[in-house]
Amino acid sequence: MQFRLEKRPEPSRLMLYGTPVAAVVLTMFIGAIIFSLIGYDGIGAVREIFFTPLTNAFKWQDLGVKAAPLIIIGVGLSIAYRANVWNIGAEGQYIMGGLAAPWGALASHGAGGWWTLPAMMIAGVAGGAAYAAIPALLRTRLNVNEILTSLMLTYASVQLIYYLVRAPWKDPMGMGFPQTRRFASEALLPNIIPGTIVHAGVPIAIIVALVAWFIMTRSVFGYQMRVVGAAPHAARYGGFSENKTIWLALLVSGGLAGLAGMLEVAGPFQRMVPGFPTNYGFTAIIVAFLGRLNPLGVIFAGIVMAITFVGGEIAQTTIGLSNSATGVFQAMMLFFLLAGDILVRYRVRRVTPQVEARA
Amino acid sequence: MSLELTIAIIVTVVGASTPILIAALGELVVEKSGVLNLGVEGMMLVGAITGFVVAFTTGNHYLAILLAAAAGVATSMIFGFLTLSLSANQTATGLALTIFGTGFSALAGQGYSARPVTLLGPLFPAELATHPIWRVLFGYSALVYFSLAMVFAVWWFLKKSRAGLILRAVGENDLSAHSIGYSVIGVRYAAVAFGGAMAGIAGACFPLLLTPQWAERMTAGRGWIAVALVVFASWKPFRLLAGAYLFGLVMTMELYAKASGGPLSAIPAELWSAMPYLATVVVLVLISIRRDASTNAPACLGRPFLPSN
Amino acid sequence: MTLNRRSMLKAGVAAATLPLLGSKAFAQSEPLKVGFMLIGTVNDNGWNFGHAQGAKFMKEQLGDLVAEPTIVENVPEGPDCERVLRELAQSGHKLIFATSFGYGDYVIKVAEQFPDVTFEHATGYQRSANVATYNARFHEGRAVCGTIAGHMSQTGKAGYIGSFPIPEVVMGINAFVLAARKVNPDFTITPVYISTWNDPAKEADAARAMIDQGIDIIAQHTDGPAALQVAEERGIVGGFGQGADMSAFAPNAQLTSIIDHWGPHYVNSAQAVIDGTWETGDRWPGLKEGEVQIGPYGPKVPEDVVAAAEAVKNGQIDGSFNIFTGPINDHTGAEKVPAGVTLTDAELLSMDWYVEGVIPPA
Repeated sequence: MQFRLEKRPEPSRLMLYGTPVAAVVLTMFIGAIIFSLIGYDGIGAVREIFFTPLTNAFKWQDLGVKAAPLIIIGVGLSIAYRANVWNIGAEGQYIMGGLAAPWGALASHGAGGWWTLPAMMIAGVAGGAAYAAIPALLRTRLNVNEILTSLMLTYASVQLIYYLVRAPWKDPMGMGFPQTRRFASEALLPNIIPGTIVHAGVPIAIIVALVAWFIMTRSVFGYQMRVVGAAPHAARYGGFSENKTIWLALLVSGGLAGLAGMLEVAGPFQRMVPGFPTNYGFTAIIVAFLGRLNPLGVIFAGIVMAITFVGGEIAQTTIGLSNSATGVFQAMMLFFLLAGDILVRYRVRRVTPQVEARA
Repeated sequence: MSLELTIAIIVTVVGASTPILIAALGELVVEKSGVLNLGVEGMMLVGAITGFVVAFTTGNHYLAILLAAAAGVATSMIFGFLTLSLSANQTATGLALTIFGTGFSALAGQGYSARPVTLLGPLFPAELATHPIWRVLFGYSALVYFSLAMVFAVWWFLKKSRAGLILRAVGENDLSAHSIGYSVIGVRYAAVAFGGAMAGIAGACFPLLLTPQWAERMTAGRGWIAVALVVFASWKPFRLLAGAYLFGLVMTMELYAKASGGPLSAIPAELWSAMPYLATVVVLVLISIRRDASTNAPACLGRPFLPSN
Repeated sequence: MTLNRRSMLKAGVAAATLPLLGSKAFAQSEPLKVGFMLIGTVNDNGWNFGHAQGAKFMKEQLGDLVAEPTIVENVPEGPDCERVLRELAQSGHKLIFATSFGYGDYVIKVAEQFPDVTFEHATGYQRSANVATYNARFHEGRAVCGTIAGHMSQTGKAGYIGSFPIPEVVMGINAFVLAARKVNPDFTITPVYISTWNDPAKEADAARAMIDQGIDIIAQHTDGPAALQVAEERGIVGGFGQGADMSAFAPNAQLTSIIDHWGPHYVNSAQAVIDGTWETGDRWPGLKEGEVQIGPYGPKVPEDVVAAAEAVKNGQIDGSFNIFTGPINDHTGAEKVPAGVTLTDAELLSMDWYVEGVIPPA
């Protein structure tokens, strides 16, 4: 069977909003069948992974906390990707933001004040942006592919954490375990809803997404990013500098990843540990696509991803579904989503092979 | 350093390098066709569990390698269908493929963990394979010689064969290749399948060549090293060979240095581990400074092929 | 803390003031729900496998008194584990075992929110009213292994693969060397830290690197059998199983193994919670209590060496022998522990120095 893709004159709005929903529904349906066939409680798995996190109000706080970093990083990436700048090293920028922030917190331990958190926030953004500046410099000066440099730098940054927590930053009271001391209270992110774990990073994530949406749709900057990404030639005629766009795209996405790193280390982690890199930077790439590179879409995509993470753990405790099964569910959902992407821009027509051959 | 120790180190380095060399050769061909598949790690894990299960149930190592390759191809076809037939984003699909491979292999491997297999023995007769000196050349299993043969095969294919020329044309300029009448999608499918087969075999190296057991995530990030290696080698098979052994040396020398307690052991372990990635960035920069067009990345790398109609 | 009416009342108040956290009431007649949180998978042949076996043992021993144990795998050491802990507590688990060091902060945090739930944290040091810590004296087993190594090594050199230089690992290395040097005063050991608990290919390569440089005995403090398999392949004198009997992987090379047997501890804790007699504290049983066991001796180990190993084992069981009794010199040769003095538990738990005979890593 051969397919032929016909470009739609305009992206289909129905498909734009319909395909993510269809992908999730399809995942539940096919997942339930497959997992039942191989001897698991397929229906139970779908219920626990996709519905329990939503129906159980106790889980909402977890969704918020898990989704926040994904949304912040995902928003930055969606801006970069709109401009055709392929920063896939957000994990590394997240790590550098997470390392830049406690650098100050540890140095000023016990001597901080109201200014500590804002200073950490600035350090985090700067750390992430500085790390993204390396691929930006190499791309604009030497035309080095940013996909490859940003990815390589990510792996180097993971080793930097290991080094810092093992040697110079090691907690003197930590029984020799590789981790920093706990930050002083003024360097910890406040909880905003008493009795829950919802920290200030959650509303920040929503604000970041809303501001980004506003800028991308209403400002010259946003227009520039979109034009350079969609039609680089036209953009050049219009007087938009491609290099400037690359710089902006990488600095914004890197800075937001760094912000997410700061919020994580000062919020849920409260100290730097070797387990700090939890793939938020990579998962956020998927979130960005899931959200159709639209900051508002990224909010929903971040929550959907968070549901599968939280739901996966519920499924482990309630029906004993193994951790690996959750990974398979997630991958399946992403496959369906990515597959559905094409329906937004194209119509799929079935054609006879003769027409297609050597066309 | 004594000759004996030198030989011993070489033997260990060759073992450690072989899976990344095999996986990177596959990815090199994929990237030459203009496709970036970041799912190498996932495909390797699927190959590792397949190779393990087949070796465990049948005891036939060559069948295990063959079926690991087949499993790699099957996994790569998910990527192929999404990115080539449906023009999905390659970066995101590759990452999703790694999530899939990690989860799937763990799921399939439940119940196989406390079970040993045997390593694939040396290819040559014992007199050569265990000879104190000659084992440096003849002491390896078929997988090692396969990886070396594939370096030549990939070089010949890309440089000398007509099919290789077409593949490179597709990777350099898909639209003109298309307009001459080549099936861009067809060529890329073949390249992705080859990459999958090689990643599957590379995965099988873990239980059959390195450590005869199954452990979840046992490839421990080496698929990503393979991706780095392709770039480090600037898409050239013989540089890839040198690079694989260099990376293997860096990964292994850390352990030899620590075990000896000598001066090299003062280098932090983390710096050793970061070296392959940092070196790759440096190489990328050097390539660009020289502006040697032939060493540069395939022009269409990572871009979907969408002939406008 | 005991589960009396007062603490139940406290839990009720806590639930009322923390509406989003919730806390299901539980009746004593229901079987106790016990949760286990693991850093890896139950299929790792080592650490996590040992805890899963312990959970199984608990269920077998206590029957209908406990529900089928809940095991959550692959929980990273970070905020994710906090969520899992809360999930377990909210879903009615009244006894929760957190089995990795990095869970510590979060166990304490969640335990505050669920005063009616009992938590136990393996290898940790932070405790509270409803959080106890527990570990096993693996170093006692290391002393037995070291005795065998001292007798059997021909080169007098052993290798030791560690994950991170934390006190628990350092303690094991020291116990091993001290025991070996009681047999062979020239015995030395080279520790190699590989910065990971589970990368079997790297463990195997580390074993190869050490064997190539002249060691003929290998020990490891990582989770899998990879190093033992290399010992088998290379035909060196041998090595030791860690966490579980690994003779299936190395029938000739495994001289013996240290087996984690968490089961009795899990039975005791569960029983205490059911009876309402559970109290916080630090539990650190070893060979004597059966929590650490010595597996079968391998075919290579001659009878006189078995006898020597058994003597060290039995001495530790009846209390007549302690591997950390002075005189002990540090790796520079300076006296660290005077004759007749025994290191205290607190000193062991913060051990960051190597004894004589260890070639310290940089």
